[in-house]
Amino acid sequence: MSVIVSNAPRVRRMTLKRRRQVAGFLFALPAIALVIGFIGIPIGQAVYYSFTQWNGLTSTWIGPHTWNQAFHNSNLWTALRNNALLLLAVPFALGLPLGIAVLLHQRVAGWRIFRSIYFLPTAISWVVLGLVAERFFAYQGTLNSIIHALGFSHVNTNMLGYESTALTALGITFVFTMIGTNTMLFLTGLATLDPSLEEAARIDGAGRWRIFRSITLPHLSRFIQLAFVMTVIALFSALFSLIFVMTGGGPGYATTTMEFLIYQTGFNQGDFGTAALYGLILFVLTGIVGVVQLRLIGSNE
Amino acid sequence: MTSTLTPPTEASVPVGPTRPPRAGRSKVGRWVLFFAMMVIAVIMLYPFWVMIVTSLKSEAQFLAGQGFSWMSWKGLTATIPIGQEVLSSTIVCSASILIILLVGLPAGFAFSKLHFRTSTAVFLVIVSAMMVPLQAILMPEFVNVTRLGLTGGYWGAILVYAALGTPFSVFLFTTYFRGVPDELIEAGIVDGLSYFGALWRLTVPIAVPAIATVTVLQFIQIWDDLLVGLLFIQNTSERPVTVGLAVLAAGRTTSIPELMAGSIISALPAMLVYLAFQRYLVKGLTMGIDR
Amino acid sequence: MAEITFDAVTKTFGDNIRAVDELSLHVADGEFMVLVGPSGCGKTTALRMLAGLEDITSGSLSIGGAVVNNVLPKDRDVAMVFQNYALYPHMSVEKNIGFALKIRGDSKSEIKRKVGEAASILHLTDYLDRRPKALSGGQRQRVAMGRAIVRSPQAFLMDEPLSNLDAQLRVEMRLEIARIQRLLGVATVYVTHDQVEAMTMGDRVAVLRGGKLQQVDTPQDLYDHPVNEFVAGFMGSPPMNLIRCHVRPGNDRVEVDFGDQTIELPWHYTSSHELPASGLDVVVGVRPEDVIITDASSPNTIKTRVERREALGAEILVHLSPVDSSPNATPTDQVAAGDIARRASLVAKMGPRVDVAVGDVLMVQLSPEHAHFFHAETGVSLRKR
Repeated sequence: MSVIVSNAPRVRRMTLKRRRQVAGFLFALPAIALVIGFIGIPIGQAVYYSFTQWNGLTSTWIGPHTWNQAFHNSNLWTALRNNALLLLAVPFALGLPLGIAVLLHQRVAGWRIFRSIYFLPTAISWVVLGLVAERFFAYQGTLNSIIHALGFSHVNTNMLGYESTALTALGITFVFTMIGTNTMLFLTGLATLDPSLEEAARIDGAGRWRIFRSITLPHLSRFIQLAFVMTVIALFSALFSLIFVMTGGGPGYATTTMEFLIYQTGFNQGDFGTAALYGLILFVLTGIVGVVQLRLIGSNE
Repeated sequence: MTSTLTPPTEASVPVGPTRPPRAGRSKVGRWVLFFAMMVIAVIMLYPFWVMIVTSLKSEAQFLAGQGFSWMSWKGLTATIPIGQEVLSSTIVCSASILIILLVGLPAGFAFSKLHFRTSTAVFLVIVSAMMVPLQAILMPEFVNVTRLGLTGGYWGAILVYAALGTPFSVFLFTTYFRGVPDELIEAGIVDGLSYFGALWRLTVPIAVPAIATVTVLQFIQIWDDLLVGLLFIQNTSERPVTVGLAVLAAGRTTSIPELMAGSIISALPAMLVYLAFQRYLVKGLTMGIDR
Repeated sequence: MAEITFDAVTKTFGDNIRAVDELSLHVADGEFMVLVGPSGCGKTTALRMLAGLEDITSGSLSIGGAVVNNVLPKDRDVAMVFQNYALYPHMSVEKNIGFALKIRGDSKSEIKRKVGEAASILHLTDYLDRRPKALSGGQRQRVAMGRAIVRSPQAFLMDEPLSNLDAQLRVEMRLEIARIQRLLGVATVYVTHDQVEAMTMGDRVAVLRGGKLQQVDTPQDLYDHPVNEFVAGFMGSPPMNLIRCHVRPGNDRVEVDFGDQTIELPWHYTSSHELPASGLDVVVGVRPEDVIITDASSPNTIKTRVERREALGAEILVHLSPVDSSPNATPTDQVAAGDIARRASLVAKMGPRVDVAVGDVLMVQLSPEHAHFFHAETGVSLRKR
């Protein structure tokens, strides 16, 4: 290695590679700043504030005490339980779209129109869908009309009004809101399936169910994994609109999930420190799912 | 607001040549299939039916369960400042999307074509920010933005939306630009372009499908969102339409037919954008995810 | 227009991979210089350094007398044609060709005029409104050329511009590019792995191997006087026969042991070549066209058997193996050293009417005036300079 000492007055112009790197860094800088400023720093702050008594203006360090207190708060356990119960909706949020996608994939007359119809609700706000769902489950709503039409005129439901049924109603609404997205995902997956595989299997004498089990499902597994992760993350972090419009978290705490608990604790009770702590718990929960998703993306490339 | 990977869209589905209907299915079987699809269609159209039918009643007619009237449409603007709200939504959406694009395009270019030291690690950090739900950092975020005095107008919401949308746009643009041959950029540079010129005059025009994808998905996401608009826009007079509706609905005092009329108006733009841009979504999304 | 000088230019990737090793090369103004070599020989890296797309690790590179090591590509005033053409997909042919002028700030009328001229030279006038996607491979190639010539740059840099074309079009464009280059008289550096392109197009050809320059010469000199075994084997198709032998300069002739057969070559080789009287292991090179069939009565013949016969229409390639009297003698070195193939057999190029069949035993002569001698270990030509 020899260091070339320049004789010319070298306030040397940068090498081409250096220039490219500097340009690259400058180009990425706004995105880096935005993400660090609005996502990265708040994560750090959340950790700090979770150890403080904090009302948004002043914060006092009280150490792990907040954690101790939070885990003895029954609301947290209720919210976590609600989230866990809502996970029971995930199989439906995946299974129904899978069935619909397979139906669409048969390409019967008019399937394109059906496809457009099935996907259309995806464009609508969950606020609006929540409003409609509230109408559906209401005492004078569509659900009761259907029950009456089926001949059970003495039966009247009011699912959103009772602690025992409100969460189920929320779960059903959630399944409905996920149908469009997941159907799209599965239909994309089916479109990438090589039809000659199915034909070969048919020639080999496989029945329709056999083909679905042995060829279609394995091919879709990557898409099903992705849909599963997306659905679970939506379940943890996208129900706010539905809950806000349909139940406000009630009756009681029957439909309060983690994300709604954070909102309530922070903005209704003004306990910013505890809310920040709950936020961290949610962060860890979604982080686990997120790692799985990153691995899925990674295995794609 | 879901900060997950975006769903691939309608149009991304049938790329290959269409096959004829499956052979070997009986006539009866096909009718059963068609019937099943009709039933699903009715279920999926149910929200639209509820909105339209309910909005075409007066409050009294709604309670009685029958009748027809334009009353809720006529009285709509008195109950809900719908014009102002749609305007607010439009401002917030456009400004956020503009920032997302202006920040995401050069970053995608940098990560795919101008590798700098640690660029891979930085890229991964930004992409993993896709997984962070706003609720997890809601409290510090709210306090920060309030302290900066940004909750007074639209800026607070615009910046938060922009920050939440940036990771996905960086991911999509980086993936998309990786598919653009290096030689194209090099040709431009030998032709006399600076890196900025190569980005602006070569890469951006080629990336139109990806830009359309990001725009449409973010438009729907931001237009339909409640939480950010609710917390980061303090003046009720500057509320976006989705927030306005949600607040009225949660208040349980507004006439349901009027709420439904408002819902229709709020849902229309996102639906129209969605239907109009389907074709662009094919290219953009199959490029981004379905490789 | 300007001359180009590589002065001990080196490019290192990572810590120890030397893609280009101390390359010194001078391209005169208006000269058509071809860089040729097998893949990975550093020819493309050299071109990219010249374009300003790759940094120079050490040495200096100048265009028109000015050192350009750290000059941005846009300030070098060179035009490049890429292997995959790199046409801007969102611009019409006209915009593609005029893009560099537009960046440079030429007036609209000026651009229109220059693009028109370039288009007529390249027969593209009817396609100016098309997008690259709507063009055939040959037309795209022309657009890429047009983008370069419209700028009247200091130099043209071309990176395997014909490798994506089919064979017939390649021949056509070969002539076309050579014609345009002579018409414009711009210094050109043309990279290819195809020795036919190198032979037919270049004013001079630089042969590279493993980042090192082997020889720069006119195509004919390169063919007639390769400086080493590699150049000898690389230039020419089919390649030169390279056979390991022992030579013994005798009284009035040079004796070559060819297996257990001995032939004699004229005495003058001892004066033009470094052939020590004590004898030496060498590699003898003979071009296929210099292997001549004769009859047993002629002197200096080698007895061979026809192993394979490839009829190419205008000529026949005959693969011959020496027939040895002792069965276990190994006449030739069968080892392929790196990218140099020393074959066990001789290839002869013969006229289409020659009547040979596989299994025939032929007597062949090596054309006495056209033998090459290379050092058996180093591969360097033994010809005195």
